[in-house]
Amino acid sequence: MTKKDWLEGCKQMIPVAVGYIPLGIAGGMALQSAGFSTFGIFLMSLLVYAGAAQFMTASMAAAGATVPSIILMTFFLNLRHLLMSSSISGYLKKKSYPFLLLFSHTLTDEAFGLNTHRFTTGNWSPEKGLAANILAYSSWVLSTVAGGMIGTTLHIHTAVVNYVLIAMFICMLLEQFVSKAHLVVGIVAGISAVILKALLQHNISLVIAALIASFAGYLLDSRRQEKPEKEEAMQYDK
Amino acid sequence: MTSSQMWLIIGMAVVTYLPRVLPVLMLSNREISAPLKKWMSFIPVAIFSALVFSDIFFWNDTFNAHPFDNAKLIPSIIVFYLAYKTKNMLLSMMMGVLAIALMLYVV
Repeated sequence: MTKKDWLEGCKQMIPVAVGYIPLGIAGGMALQSAGFSTFGIFLMSLLVYAGAAQFMTASMAAAGATVPSIILMTFFLNLRHLLMSSSISGYLKKKSYPFLLLFSHTLTDEAFGLNTHRFTTGNWSPEKGLAANILAYSSWVLSTVAGGMIGTTLHIHTAVVNYVLIAMFICMLLEQFVSKAHLVVGIVAGISAVILKALLQHNISLVIAALIASFAGYLLDSRRQEKPEKEEAMQYDK
Repeated sequence: MTSSQMWLIIGMAVVTYLPRVLPVLMLSNREISAPLKKWMSFIPVAIFSALVFSDIFFWNDTFNAHPFDNAKLIPSIIVFYLAYKTKNMLLSMMMGVLAIALMLYVV
């Protein structure tokens, strides 16, 4: 990776890395009050690196949840990365194993959103993407450790802190509306996610809603292009 | 750090890393069929929309679409509008956080 990759990659990730600071500090504070040492917080951010799951862990651990139950909830919450990893894989051709292993470890929601947007708009490479991801990763690890050291001396409304993440997601959502079909998929995903969450009361609703909506988009798109792509469509009709 | 915390971190790391790494390892050096590609192009928008809407319409873990009870709704409209108009992510985020802080502490 050249110096230019680092500079250009990191530059694009600055808003995310800055957004991670208040989030990370809040996450670290929450984990500290749930009984984790600064070293434990450091290790969790380094090895797990999943903001939403770490917030959930803090609240579950504070409520006395067992280790297997927290791991299971983390699994369901992070299952969405299966879709992101599949979706981004097409841009990572002919890369070495170490590159792929590190790139996937740093594939958070935000890293995925930013990379997808940059790859589709051009002037982007896997190397710049990895540089950008590493900046966000460092920001998260350092901020959660700082939060752990500050501890519970500072009181901020959790809704305010959590909203940093949502505001970031809204910006990333807007960048994904690249066609009318994508807008329709977004609306379907939003409505089905709300309904499923209200019905199931479980994080798996996210994954189901995303699957339903992306499949609906696929059907919509295939139908519109049925005539010119008839032969291709027939191959996959079972 | 207690040993149960250590096992917790290891377990979380494994269940988080596998869904992140396996598709990349299995798919990145393979030609993906056109229908699969088309389906995958809708995944980003589907995920972000699901993440956003399943969060902002819930307040204290229950569905709530009242703009004054649910303090996330009005700030979200502001962020949507600003992000669309200015394309400035940091500014939009900051105004949204400011808006929810005002909703919670002032209103």
